[in-house]
Amino acid sequence: MTIPGFLVRNAFRNKRRLLLSVLGIAVSMFLLVTLMVVLRELTQPPNDGGSSLRITVRNKLSLANPLPARQLPIIEKIPGVEAVMPLTWFGGKFKEDEPLMWPQFAVDPRKFRKIFGEIRVPEDQYEAWVKDRTSCIVGRDTFKEQKMHIGQKLTFLSGIYPCSVELTIVGVYEGSIDDRVVWFHHAYLDEALGDWGKVGDWWIKATNTETAAQICPLIEAAFANTSDEVRAESERAFQLSFVSMWGGIKLLIGGVSTAVLVSLLLVTASTVSMSIRERFRELAILKAIGFQRRELCAFILAESFGLSALGVVFGAGGAWLMSRTMDIKSLTHGAFVSFEVTPQMLGTAALAAAALGILSSVFPAMSVARMSVVEGLRTLD
Amino acid sequence: MPPIVTIRSLSKVYRQGEMEIAALDNVSLDIAQGEFLSLMGPSGSGKSTLLHIIAGIDRPTSGECRVGGVGVTELDDSQLADWRNQNVGFVFQSFNLIPVLTAYENVELPLLLMDLNGTRRKELVHTALELVGLADRARHLPKQMSGGQEQRVAIARAIVTDPKLVVADEPTGNLDSASAEAVLEILRTLSSKAGKTVIMVTHDPRAASFGSKTIHLEKGRLLDVA
Repeated sequence: MTIPGFLVRNAFRNKRRLLLSVLGIAVSMFLLVTLMVVLRELTQPPNDGGSSLRITVRNKLSLANPLPARQLPIIEKIPGVEAVMPLTWFGGKFKEDEPLMWPQFAVDPRKFRKIFGEIRVPEDQYEAWVKDRTSCIVGRDTFKEQKMHIGQKLTFLSGIYPCSVELTIVGVYEGSIDDRVVWFHHAYLDEALGDWGKVGDWWIKATNTETAAQICPLIEAAFANTSDEVRAESERAFQLSFVSMWGGIKLLIGGVSTAVLVSLLLVTASTVSMSIRERFRELAILKAIGFQRRELCAFILAESFGLSALGVVFGAGGAWLMSRTMDIKSLTHGAFVSFEVTPQMLGTAALAAAALGILSSVFPAMSVARMSVVEGLRTLD
Repeated sequence: MPPIVTIRSLSKVYRQGEMEIAALDNVSLDIAQGEFLSLMGPSGSGKSTLLHIIAGIDRPTSGECRVGGVGVTELDDSQLADWRNQNVGFVFQSFNLIPVLTAYENVELPLLLMDLNGTRRKELVHTALELVGLADRARHLPKQMSGGQEQRVAIARAIVTDPKLVVADEPTGNLDSASAEAVLEILRTLSSKAGKTVIMVTHDPRAASFGSKTIHLEKGRLLDVA
């Protein structure tokens, strides 16, 4: 027999309690990792290869305020700008009462592939889209999920603008970070709105990463002191500006995570204390036959640590397995796109479990360290 | 025989609120090596306290206790733990075996603290179990044994490290007469043939008669030496 073997025997002496404790920790760790994934999904929009060159230009007042279409030639002339395209969120409803998880954007198809170079559309379908003003291309995920077909008519009633559009699917794209969007002609939207002369915002592709950083102040300066001042920023900064809107959610998730950890700590501490209390007599005997205080404390710590380690392996491991094997994107109707359990999250869960193991063993270890052999023996004789 | 245990002016006072209770009152005593000493006395007479101080699991309020030339009262907790491991074997009324370990593993437990290889440990455990007549029960768990067998395993655990001193606190208190006799016979053999000093606390005059000497305590004081 070895000391580790002795510890394992002790840990397995009450199998039902061990199972329930490990399950309790595992469920909490699963929840913790899942909350971290959700938080990451909400606060850290995924990046793709082209995002470092893309710049967005929006109304300085707010994203909801459109920009005048006449700004286009001015932006095009700014050095370092390779392509400019309008992008307007249509906010349409596809069928009555059906919540849409696949947004529609009006863009300039001729510039589209320059701006979003990573998107792949078969050449013939792309050409068909460019040619037909009332056509659209649909992301592969939406196309599959909605069981659509090429040539299908889609009618959207805008929740933002006083119009509707009837689009014909001519192509299916993929390769973006979120293959759910319906892209259609901005010209068609202009026409539906009676040549309103506005765009939602401008999307720009810079010639290279160096100029990308320099363009933003130039664009902002170009429209300074006009009735439509703009804010230009990288796509990443644009995405992060949405994140600030999630502040409350972040706080909520942080609060729930903390509550999970605290309750887990209390439950584990109680389990470890109970288990040690039941063995007070045995620990007194071990002390009597020569085991040192530090060795007994190490036993308790190891037991508590082992419990937490098993919990985190099953809990965090389960979350990781779920992210790998389940199609979370479909299950959540596209609410979560990547749902990735990162090594950092697993590391955080492992650290939380380690802290849990240490903290929950502190009081039992202290009581055993303080216990005199005689006192321990009196509990039995 | 020279004394292995020398006790001088030993006192132990417990405090309960403002009240002081003298468990031991100025006790002086010598115990010779190889002696089988029975400590008798009514409940609360201080016999277990005396045993605990000699075994190094309790500390006196004043006085001196030397075992094998070592001032037990002068050692710190860590030194005491090492000293106990090498010099004292414990036998308790309730056997106190670890329920998840087999008889073999229970006996092996004190040896895990010593710098011994697996083969040597095995030899020592087998010898100890053979001495108590339980070599064939080595793989049994405590719950698979009778009370008498459990107590014999506890004796094997107490002697496996070859200690100078074996202390037994009411070792037959939970046993039937036949099992008690077997256990007492083993303790007597340890004293008479293996030269161990055995100190046993008991209420039972018949159990005490197995010892080579009996002393009585009352209200923390030594009454006589029989």
